[in-house]
Amino acid sequence: MGAGYPCCARLRGMTIHRTVAVLATALSLCTAMAIAPAADLVAAQKERIAGYAKQPMKSPHLSFVSNGVADFWTIAKAGSLAAGKDLGCEVTVVFPGAGLSDQKRMLEDLVIRGIDGVSVSPIDPKNQMEVLNQIAEQALLITNDSDAPGSARLCYIGMDNYLAGRQCGELARKGLPNGGEVAIFIGRLEQDNAKRRWQGFVDGLLSRSVDAERRDDHTKPFTEAGYTIVGTWTDSFDRAKAKANIEDVMTRYPKLALVTGLFEYNSVLAVEVFRQAGRAGQIKIAAFDEGADVLVGIREGIVLGTVVQDPYGYGYESIKLLHALTQGKLDAIPKDGVMNIPARTITKDNVDAFWSDLKAKLAAGKAAK
Amino acid sequence: MRKHWGLLGIFLVVCIVTALYGKNFLTAYNLMNLVQRTALFSILALGVGFVIGTGGIDLSLGSVVCLVGIAVPWLLIEHGWSPWTVVPVVLAGSALIGLAHGLLVTRLRLQPFLVTLCGLLLYRGIARWMTGDQSQGFQGEFAELRSIAVGRIPLPGLETFRLPATTIPLVVLAVIAALFLARTVWGRWLLATGSNEAAARYSGIPTARLVTGAYVACSLLAGLGGMLFIFDVGSAQPSDFGNFYELYAIAAAVLGGCSLRGGSVSVVGIVLGTATLQVLRNSINLLGLGSQLEFAVIGAVLLAGVAADELVRRWHAARLERRGAG
Repeated sequence: MGAGYPCCARLRGMTIHRTVAVLATALSLCTAMAIAPAADLVAAQKERIAGYAKQPMKSPHLSFVSNGVADFWTIAKAGSLAAGKDLGCEVTVVFPGAGLSDQKRMLEDLVIRGIDGVSVSPIDPKNQMEVLNQIAEQALLITNDSDAPGSARLCYIGMDNYLAGRQCGELARKGLPNGGEVAIFIGRLEQDNAKRRWQGFVDGLLSRSVDAERRDDHTKPFTEAGYTIVGTWTDSFDRAKAKANIEDVMTRYPKLALVTGLFEYNSVLAVEVFRQAGRAGQIKIAAFDEGADVLVGIREGIVLGTVVQDPYGYGYESIKLLHALTQGKLDAIPKDGVMNIPARTITKDNVDAFWSDLKAKLAAGKAAK
Repeated sequence: MRKHWGLLGIFLVVCIVTALYGKNFLTAYNLMNLVQRTALFSILALGVGFVIGTGGIDLSLGSVVCLVGIAVPWLLIEHGWSPWTVVPVVLAGSALIGLAHGLLVTRLRLQPFLVTLCGLLLYRGIARWMTGDQSQGFQGEFAELRSIAVGRIPLPGLETFRLPATTIPLVVLAVIAALFLARTVWGRWLLATGSNEAAARYSGIPTARLVTGAYVACSLLAGLGGMLFIFDVGSAQPSDFGNFYELYAIAAAVLGGCSLRGGSVSVVGIVLGTATLQVLRNSINLLGLGSQLEFAVIGAVLLAGVAADELVRRWHAARLERRGAG
């Protein structure tokens, strides 16, 4: 026993040493592999931009990444490519068609391809920090359409969804000044722009003070200032389901006075369902985005109006900013890191002029392969 | 019908609960919507029921719905084809897709799961590529053509309830399918093939032709369903139109008594299974349960339905056995 003891101690000592060594190596590897905090990544990007001031990139490869597939993004594509042409840089536009994992894969592929700058509309920013910061390590990162607060993005280009939502809410309030039952339809509520747009609509309708940080519970109906928000219905982009939602809500709430579709197709389907049920014009619609049936509805007077974004501007300004940064122009980023491209309200008065401009931009996006 | 007591029970319970606690379940408008949705999804489920009857599976039907649903407005609006050309072309195209599946499964002996999984990716990919990922819609045109799906037929004696036009293709197809299965030798052979393909083949049944025929029928009905869906909804996005519809169809067929091991198809069961799924989705909205709970509720009720069916079947078998022994 006595003879064995020192031997065991030596063995144990070696094991401890080895364990410590392995742990230390693993820890240092992990630290090396782990992504630096967002603030550090922003600083690192700015350092790179300062470097570009001395040696501007000749023809940078820039990318515009959407959060899905829609006409909206085709117009953004036209804007991105037009900017690429004007500024003489290569532009890759990608549309993830199958949600979060698809977008992640496409972003990773862009990094592997050695992209110099990316403008992305993150689907679920809170849970995408890692992939967003991975990009920021390798390329310049900005966001468009939907922001990713707390990530290493240098700038957000888009409209303030809260304010745009308010515009839609105010449109609804004007159309329904004496209150009534209101239902909200939206594709999904996970993403930042959807949450802000939803809250903006509610605050605008109820003419509350401007507070983008306010959060009402969207799962419960509530009454305020004469308006009853009977509920919010999501559909994960299944149009048959989205249509069924509107039909079912009409059934459940016979006194429904107004609906809003906060994603493009939600408004289009509301027009469709009310026409089919012979109730077009009876239940009012405050719309979002520029679906063709919504614009026809505005002309006919069965839709109050619609709040439209400027996707062409998102595309054009994204590429313009990324290009400026690769030339070392750090001051191209606005002070608060937000480049606001405000939404517009389209009503019967300006629908025709808006529509012809839209058609021209969409045709340009479609022609670009 | 006897084997559907469990399912019928679940269907009735969901209806009664929604009628009692939900709002306006029994209004004409809601019933019209339910008949419409059941008809649309039943057409898909009938097709996949045949394939399941042969012991196969078709995972591609949601993508066929997408491809056809996109192709119809794309050809009509973007390319200016006439409806008289578009309808036969897309239906023939769907049948060809089914023929390809059938030949790959029977001649090349590939797994149906694999063949149709590849189809699921392929057809959606084609739809996205050919339209450049653009959503396609009728832009307010072709109202007459669309009335095949959105039309409502007045019924004598009923003022507010008008029969959704999609009921007609469903009834015609269901009657043909039921007669085929129960009254023709081909129907018997199809089920025999599903029960034991080797035995069926050795007894001289042309199993390869039957299996191929089932895939053709499935894709053809998916194509027809896709056409009716796009007529109903009016516009579609290639990346999401018809997503997961294969699972709704398969769930309805299995719920309706089609065994995934093959050899058993029930037309009444398929329609009842689809109706149960649609009423369930409707009731979640009418009861105000919130869309977050939707899948959980559907999953739980389906499981209860299948379990109840199985228990009723066992109880019935045991009773027959007792009677035989007595």
